[in-house]
Amino acid sequence: MIMWLMAVRLALRSLNRNKLRAALTVLGILIGVAAVVAMTALGDGAKANIERQLGALGTNLLMVFPGSNTSGGARTEAGSRPTLSEEDAEAIGRELYSVQAVAPVLSAAAQVVVGSRNTATRIQGTTVSYFRVRNWSVARGSAFTDADLRISARVCILGETVRRNLFDRGEALGATIRVGRMPCTVVGILATKGQGSFGNDYDDTIVMPISTVRARLRGLSTREVNQVLVSVRDAALMKRAEEQITSLLRQRHRISAQDENDFSVGNMQDIMATLETTRATLSALLLSVAAIALLVGGIGVMNIMLVSVTERTREIGIRLAIGARSGDILAQFLVEAVALSLLGGLAGLGLGWGAGTLLGKTMEWTVTFSPSAAVVALGTSSGIGVIFGYFPARRAAKLDPIQALRHE
Amino acid sequence: MSADEIVLEMRGIEKAYLTGEVVFRALKGVDLTVRRGEFLAVGGPSGSGKSTLMNLIGCLDRPTAGQYRLAGHDVSGLDADARAFVRNQLIGFIFQGFNLLARTSALENVELPLIYRGMGSSERRRRAVDALRHVGLGTKLDNTPAQLSGGQQQRVAIARALVTEPKLLLADEPTGNLDSTTTEEVLALLQSLHRDQGMTIIMVTHEPDVAQCASRIVVVRDGLIASDRRVETPRQAGVDPVSANPLLGGASS
Ligand SMILES: Nc1ncnc2c1ncn2[C@@H]1O[C@H](COP(=O)(O)OP(=O)(O)OP(=O)(O)O)[C@@H](O)[C@H]1O
Ligand SMILES: [Mg+2]
Repeated sequence: MIMWLMAVRLALRSLNRNKLRAALTVLGILIGVAAVVAMTALGDGAKANIERQLGALGTNLLMVFPGSNTSGGARTEAGSRPTLSEEDAEAIGRELYSVQAVAPVLSAAAQVVVGSRNTATRIQGTTVSYFRVRNWSVARGSAFTDADLRISARVCILGETVRRNLFDRGEALGATIRVGRMPCTVVGILATKGQGSFGNDYDDTIVMPISTVRARLRGLSTREVNQVLVSVRDAALMKRAEEQITSLLRQRHRISAQDENDFSVGNMQDIMATLETTRATLSALLLSVAAIALLVGGIGVMNIMLVSVTERTREIGIRLAIGARSGDILAQFLVEAVALSLLGGLAGLGLGWGAGTLLGKTMEWTVTFSPSAAVVALGTSSGIGVIFGYFPARRAAKLDPIQALRHE
Repeated sequence: MSADEIVLEMRGIEKAYLTGEVVFRALKGVDLTVRRGEFLAVGGPSGSGKSTLMNLIGCLDRPTAGQYRLAGHDVSGLDADARAFVRNQLIGFIFQGFNLLARTSALENVELPLIYRGMGSSERRRRAVDALRHVGLGTKLDNTPAQLSGGQQQRVAIARALVTEPKLLLADEPTGNLDSTTTEEVLALLQSLHRDQGMTIIMVTHEPDVAQCASRIVVVRDGLIASDRRVETPRQAGVDPVSANPLLGGASS
């Protein structure tokens, strides 16, 4: 016990005497650990994000888009010809038992103005069931009603971001805002939902009756929609519902057997899987950077420890002569190597933290730092210290006292 | 004569070194018995095997052949860790080059052998301070070797050797790096240890007047003990080193 305590004191003293050398030596480990920490943070962040989104959107959500091309659930705006309509949405809700609720969505981009403040945002025109399908509640005020839908009422519900941009601390409920050229009364404020996986802000939106968007904002004569959101009764019915929706729409659109769909059905799991793949690629990249940096760092530690053993051969000789056992010498140099790489690990932890946060900010990714990242960082670096410090330490421990004492 | 009075006993000790293909016999069968309280000076020409003998006596090395009993135990065949233990428990070393740890205070240097005994820090410190006071360095506890004169450094080394209360004090040319004044200082210290505490000391030296301070002189020649004689009246070292040295202006005092 005393031996180890002394070894720690000796190691700290020795590092203190060679500050610059120690700093340069641990650079590799620093970078490696930083990469590991950033990777875990991003990975944990992405995972938390995905889980949150699945919760936020409802795991049983299916999305139907017009146009045939989808890749991994991401919509390509190929369909110039409107192929999905409110009638389709109604049919899905009416005819399929596996479906619990359906919400058509017609969106528009618009400039929104109140007094001197204005903001650009996305308007979602939909029906009352939208809130249920998206598992999204109105925090204050109330949702619009079926009556509002029938008369294309000029009412809207603000996302939290829009509310903040337009009203800040002022009262939004009951106020009249201008959406494009249309005046509109704020009847509700949506609950906060936060960030989406692409860095999109769910709260940067305005929801209003679909009829209002169609007639007053887009001026459309058809009942086309951009999206139909479908909430499936049970997670086990997802595949089934997807098939049923496909065959129903093919039938309604009169698509012959050899032709492709003019719509696509995506589910959240698919989209999340794509995200997960991206995340895994990034993780693998970071991990290989980390592995290389740690290897280089470890070799650096080994090299400097070998130098240190050579420099201090005489000291080792003195210690051996007055009764140090080879185990004492081994402990001394091993602890020094571990202390050295732990130093790098701690610095790397800080750097990884900073880099992860910065990356999260600039790329709009969610970054989560868990205590496990610290454990991983310090565990990895002390492991490196033991592995790469062992060889030099053993060399020191095996020195012959007489030869060592004679060393200049 | 009772057995416990014999500190070390060597019978037919040989040491051969292998350099490349050539075997060199540095010691060719040394018999040596040293009793408690003896002050032995080992002389002889350069390369005769004095240091080799001292390394064997100090258990820094193992003999190629022969038997070696130290304080009643056979130590001829011990492995490295066992020899480290013996060195720590029974032997104090003083070297020609002092061999103190650089950038480390006198106190910490003296504590070092006790650390490897696993002694607690307060006891260790107390003993180290005592040892340094004993060699007259009670005011230099925190000085590093670089902040001490050669004679003072050698006295720190002596304190380090004494702090473990060894059975045997070994000194390989302890005055080899010192001028005549400090040589006398160090010799006086060794003589007082011998006289007042009955310490057993073995000291290698080239200089006849240094050897004359011991109670017995052994001469090694060509790997063998060539002569072994008692000194009837050892010279008292450092009686008045100042007046003995004209460079220090002894006449004016
Ligand atoms: N490790 C070794 N390998 C080979 N030969 C050695 C080794 N150590 C000592 N020798 C040889 O053994 C002989 C005795 O050496 P030793 O150091 O004991 O001499 P010494 O009497 O102490 O001489 P000096 O008075 O110069 O210190 C020398 O010829 C030396 O070259
Ligand atoms: Mg010698």
